[in-house]
Amino acid sequence: MTAVRQAADPPDPPQDDDLVERFRAGDESALREAYDRYGRAVFHLATSVLANRSDAEDVTQATFVAAWLGRDTFDPARGSLLGWLLGIGRRKVVDRVRACARENRVVESVRQLPEPATAGPDPDTVVDRLVVADELARLPQEQRRMLELAFYEDLTHQQIAAATGVPLGTVKSHIRRGMASLKRRWEVDGAAPGPRPAGLPGAR
Amino acid sequence: MQHLDHDRLVFLALGESVADTGEADHLDTCAHCRDEVETFRHVAGLGAATRTVRDLPDPPEHIWQGIVAEIRAVAEPPAQAETRTKAETRTKAGAGAETRTGKQTETRVEAGAGARVGVPARPGRVAVGGRRRWPRWAVTTGTAAAAAVLGVLGTLAVVETERSTPAPGRVVASGPLAAYGATPSQARGEARVFDDGRLHLHVTDLPAVPGYYEVWLINPNTGAMFSVGVLGDGPDVLLPLPPRADVRAYSVVDISAEQFDNEPAHSGDSLVRGTLTG
Repeated sequence: MTAVRQAADPPDPPQDDDLVERFRAGDESALREAYDRYGRAVFHLATSVLANRSDAEDVTQATFVAAWLGRDTFDPARGSLLGWLLGIGRRKVVDRVRACARENRVVESVRQLPEPATAGPDPDTVVDRLVVADELARLPQEQRRMLELAFYEDLTHQQIAAATGVPLGTVKSHIRRGMASLKRRWEVDGAAPGPRPAGLPGAR
Repeated sequence: MQHLDHDRLVFLALGESVADTGEADHLDTCAHCRDEVETFRHVAGLGAATRTVRDLPDPPEHIWQGIVAEIRAVAEPPAQAETRTKAETRTKAGAGAETRTGKQTETRVEAGAGARVGVPARPGRVAVGGRRRWPRWAVTTGTAAAAAVLGVLGTLAVVETERSTPAPGRVVASGPLAAYGATPSQARGEARVFDDGRLHLHVTDLPAVPGYYEVWLINPNTGAMFSVGVLGDGPDVLLPLPPRADVRAYSVVDISAEQFDNEPAHSGDSLVRGTLTG
């Protein structure tokens, strides 16, 4: 077991150290850990899409319950725990949106006051953003720092080199590697159908 | 065909470089490289948007408590759960004055970390649903009143449990109820249909109405509906459904505000709604 783990290449997508194994083995402390790590992301997905806060809370709760009860079906080879949780959450959010739409149709027959079911962006975009954010947080510190300067401050590579004192070539190399990791993770765990070259494992 | 270098694809996508003539020609003819640039560009857009999800707030603690409660409820054999239910409702009825104080939350959090969680399987779902939805003011006000309510609820639960032995009602469909229309959003609840054909509702924070609350089941596809009964002053009610009531078709639970006007139809004033699934 240990030998296997040591022999394995750096996991891709990232393994959640031994959390995944304990989770799948039914260790309840792993559920709490998974919730501590990813509860915020699932809750954000639910609150971003659903207008009604109690719906969002219910969806968050139902996502973790479903994940726990269905833990046997989680295959770490196919994606990360976060990606899997967000996938469950995404389906539940979409179900809830549809249920709201049905209820609204009912209401139209009772009174003409439909209520908006969704608050914000589409769930796929939220999932993708959360997955990329998670990967960004996992990158080696220097890669992450360079990418954040590029993404958030909109600095050119030249400007980043000047601001950080890191040689331009090194900046470019960090950014190139960081981008490759973000792209790979998005292809594996992302939800949105996007331009994905055929034949890549993440293409669905 | 010689594809563009990986770093060129990245830097073109980031707008860091401009394609020279050779690269532009290649991109014109190579869908693979075009897709790669497009993908990197998309990922960079997501990267920039991650700024909005960097410091997300924690979900409210009661969500975790709800998760633990549901998992316990599923994990426990019904017989065992039933025994525990009796014991715990009695305990709560006895020690009710303390259970609604602020200590409650901490105790339950610790319990969630691995110790036994005091959440029975059947009325537990109700109790938990109610508790996690109680606003803070309800938790901190009137412990004496809370104790009294708990005493009553506890007694009811025990009586109920003993009467319905040996087979306790299994939940065949359930769903959360949420504020509807202009109803203040804290109004909410939970609906459950047992396999013995009874509908249990737990609803809190309904706005006061001049008349009374009536419970309906609505078929979302046809708009057809029928009245199931009325909800009194308390948060809980157990209503018998008509024999052969089809809660799959009549899946929407609706609580309306009705006037004492001898008008049997739905007033059109829905306060909370929810969809039964099961």
